[in-house]
Amino acid sequence: MSESLEKLQNRILSDARLKAEGTIREAQAKAQQILEEARQRAQKESEEIISKAKVEAESVRRSILSSKVRVNRLRILEEKNRIVQDIIHNVQNQLSNIARTDQFENTAQRFVAEAVKAVESEQPIVRIGFKDATKKNLDGVSRVLPKGGKLVIDEKPIDDFGGVIATDPEGRVVFNNTFKSRLERLDNHLLTLIASTVFAE
Amino acid sequence: MVDEAAARAQKVISETREQAELIRQEAVASAQGRGEGILREAKEKAEAEARQSDQETEQVLDTFRKLSDERKAVAVGKAVELILNS
Repeated sequence: MSESLEKLQNRILSDARLKAEGTIREAQAKAQQILEEARQRAQKESEEIISKAKVEAESVRRSILSSKVRVNRLRILEEKNRIVQDIIHNVQNQLSNIARTDQFENTAQRFVAEAVKAVESEQPIVRIGFKDATKKNLDGVSRVLPKGGKLVIDEKPIDDFGGVIATDPEGRVVFNNTFKSRLERLDNHLLTLIASTVFAE
Repeated sequence: MVDEAAARAQKVISETREQAELIRQEAVASAQGRGEGILREAKEKAEAEARQSDQETEQVLDTFRKLSDERKAVAVGKAVELILNS
């Protein structure tokens, strides 16, 4: 009886030991799994953080550069515009003072002839006004008027820089051949000419 | 014995969980530090490129001013001719 009890006792102890060892093994295995999963999760989170930082860095870089590029392009455009406007101002000055040059008579006659032709009237009324123009250097203008035409000489330059305006007797057809009007009509051509002359390589 | 083993097992798992959390925190902190470095480098690089852009723009503006000085009279002459004769 005593021997049987001892065997039983040993068996219970053996079973308990096995069970305890099994519990520890399972715990160790689970611990390994926890660590492995933690490493993988940490790796994934790290990659996400780095990836997000790279996206943000590119965004910051683009923002800084695009802002700077925009500002510098604007500075270049403003400088180009300033130079072109300065040249146009000089052109306006030269045109305003054309009556002092030997080109004046020929130019005035041509402007009148163009304006008369444009209004297509046998009795055109032509207003002419240039800075510093004298009756003497406007004498030739009468020659290009048709017989029924009327010449009105303004003492002041017409439309700021001078020129010619022709109308039919009723005032229905008007042709503005002043420098200001010609500058406006040739605006695109003028800007291209100035830019290509100054900025071309 | 079994209860002791269970308690030990629980302790192992509990300590492992703490260790795992530590590993995660260290990895995240390291990644955040690296991320900040990436951002700082990008800013520094962009600011250097921006300074370069400023220098290049100054050169372009200088060139324009020189060209303007050299060619202004010719441009005015051509423009006056255009307005008079077109």
